[in-house]
Amino acid sequence: MTEWLVDSGLGLALLLLAAATLYAPRLYTSVVFFMGFGLLMAIVWARLGAADLALAEAAIGAGLTGVLLMGALREHPPRTERAPRPRSLLWAALLPLAVLPLLVEAILPLSGGAQPLPAQVDAQLAYSGVSHPVTAVLLNFRSWDTLLELLVVLFALLGTRQLALSSRHPHPPWPLLLAWCRWLAPLAFLLGAYLLWRGAKAPGGAFQAGALWASAIVMLRLNGLLPTVSWRDWRLRLPALLGVTVFVLLAVATWLWGAGWLVWPPGAAKALILLVELAASVGIAITLALLVMGEDRELRP
Amino acid sequence: MNTALLSLSAPLLAALWLLLTHRRQAPVVIVASLISLVAAVFSLYQVIDAGEQSLALGGWESPLGIRLRLMPVSAMLLTFTALIHSLVGLYAWRSRHSQTRHTDYWPLSCLLHAALAALWLSHDIFNWYVTLELLGLVAVVMVCLAGPKAYGAALRYLLLSLAASLCYLLGVALLYGVYGVLDVSLLAEAARADPSTRTALMLMTVGLMLKAALWPLHLWLPAAHSSAPTAVSALLSALVVKGPLFILWLLWSRVAPEELGQAAGPWLALAGVGALLVGGWSALRAPLIKLMVAYSTVAQLGYALLALGLMLHWRELSLDAALWLFVLAHGLAKVSMFLAAGEMQSTLGSRRLDSLKGATQTMPVAMFAFAVAGGSLIGLPPSGGFLAKWLLLLPLLQNPAHWPWALGVMLGTLISAAYVFRVVAISFDRARPTSPDFNPDRFAQWLSLLPALLVWGMALISEQLILWLTGATL
Repeated sequence: MTEWLVDSGLGLALLLLAAATLYAPRLYTSVVFFMGFGLLMAIVWARLGAADLALAEAAIGAGLTGVLLMGALREHPPRTERAPRPRSLLWAALLPLAVLPLLVEAILPLSGGAQPLPAQVDAQLAYSGVSHPVTAVLLNFRSWDTLLELLVVLFALLGTRQLALSSRHPHPPWPLLLAWCRWLAPLAFLLGAYLLWRGAKAPGGAFQAGALWASAIVMLRLNGLLPTVSWRDWRLRLPALLGVTVFVLLAVATWLWGAGWLVWPPGAAKALILLVELAASVGIAITLALLVMGEDRELRP
Repeated sequence: MNTALLSLSAPLLAALWLLLTHRRQAPVVIVASLISLVAAVFSLYQVIDAGEQSLALGGWESPLGIRLRLMPVSAMLLTFTALIHSLVGLYAWRSRHSQTRHTDYWPLSCLLHAALAALWLSHDIFNWYVTLELLGLVAVVMVCLAGPKAYGAALRYLLLSLAASLCYLLGVALLYGVYGVLDVSLLAEAARADPSTRTALMLMTVGLMLKAALWPLHLWLPAAHSSAPTAVSALLSALVVKGPLFILWLLWSRVAPEELGQAAGPWLALAGVGALLVGGWSALRAPLIKLMVAYSTVAQLGYALLALGLMLHWRELSLDAALWLFVLAHGLAKVSMFLAAGEMQSTLGSRRLDSLKGATQTMPVAMFAFAVAGGSLIGLPPSGGFLAKWLLLLPLLQNPAHWPWALGVMLGTLISAAYVFRVVAISFDRARPTSPDFNPDRFAQWLSLLPALLVWGMALISEQLILWLTGATL
């Protein structure tokens, strides 16, 4: 009974926060609601037993996206206050009402559906090199998806670079913030490294570690504790591209000298997975930090 | 199969090399495209010799891992992608009017190539979602290369593309919830016509139609394709919109249970006729050169959708060949048209269609390329467009009861003839020609003629093409 109450309360709060984000009178309020939505979403994932997703959602959905939106709001304050028009509200109410019965009809039979895959994952887990099923799926069974996902993150960075935005120049830091930051940033790095290492056995891994490291970098940059580096500098490009490069080179190497594309040799599976995870988390950290902070402009000649 | 993967990894490695060294070297890109082309041709030969091939990535069998599959259609699309990339790369490198020579176009076009190759080879509905994300993102980024004036169109493209991705992903989640597998072949064995499957297919279809700009969900395409740099417009129109179409085709012809396909067929075909008429009409009224070419893409995609819908409704397998012939013929013709249009608009100094007055005299080669490519879009024999249209019309004309569809195709042809001849007629108006601002770039104009000639050359190997394509579906 209590569980049911908690779950329905969470669901209702999610819906309310979503509506508040969409229809708040000021953009600033919307952004705050959006960050709240991300945090609540993380709790919902945790309730559903998806700890990996909860960690990623809390770090990226609530944390980094929030900083990004706040920064965008500061650089480009809205020119007009928005007032929801009655007609758009009407559409927003009608469309879900029309789709809802279809979705309910489709989702209801799923509760009893047989799921053969989790059992298969458990059966093969011993041969995957790691003991956490999520990591096994992401970096061994379906590593091709993960390689392409890393490319998606890279594309996002390349995309924002085309827009030739200037990097953010933070306000002069506040002494208390500086003091806190000197404590928090090393802690975040350490925690990220721990998550990365734990990923082989328990929830955690490259995306979560990368996101944590990225937030530490963003924090340091916002307080002016890190120098700005230009994309022209290979010392920035190499770590940003590290994850994808290592993954692709390993794929080609396993084809040329191994048993086939992305087939990890049985003994070396754990080492290779850790190598990929380490490279990927460095790449993700740098990429996410660059997405949020921007880099020194150099693009348009 | 390894050659197909080589065709995927060559552009990917080239892109990483360019990004790491931070150079904008066109020759690297062109060499990578050519390597990819050779590898793709080899894989095509292998498929024709030995039939469909598949490869379990990571050595894990399909419900657990991801299985890539090389079908004749995917091998042909792989070759086609590499061919178009080499041609367009050559244009972007050598043309004097190329706006993309000193931008990040080079790594991005390589990444686009790799994303498309990954999509053609994939046979897994979740892996397709990832490739769709890649494709949508890189396409938006490439539209942004045109500078701030294209940002509006690019942003609209991005938002709609993301909404479409979410729609598709919800469908994938439903299918996974019902059947517990993601591989297309396994899904095809298990699929039943229950409400969950129907809703999932509906959601995925809406997402894919939005991404492929199929009428009535095409509204983002004209602005995005016409505001992109010329080389990018050519790639977007010839290749990018075909990716979601490929998934839509496999989804309905392989995964969907027969009765659902039969029920959905007429609606898809109706949307196809709608695209032909509305897109054609908009192309006829478009004031700008590239906008007209972009609207013509909306119209031409209607043929493919019509072929898909009718194939599902009647289970007529020759229509599959018609669909893919349309895709190949349209892709080649569109590259030609966009390159010619780009050359003409930058040499004549105006984006407006009326500035083409006297172009037959001042820029004969580019105008000829435009007209020849237009001939294939109309479907004049013996072009590739004619071949596809003939295959589409055969089953329509055999049965008198099918006259409404035949009428739709005829009207579409009439409109496409009208918009092509409108341009040609303006260009023959030599009384007050727009004088070109300087000596035109001959090489780029001849280059734009090449794909148009290729599309007419498709007639020479038509029998082979049809055999390969129908062999794929039997």
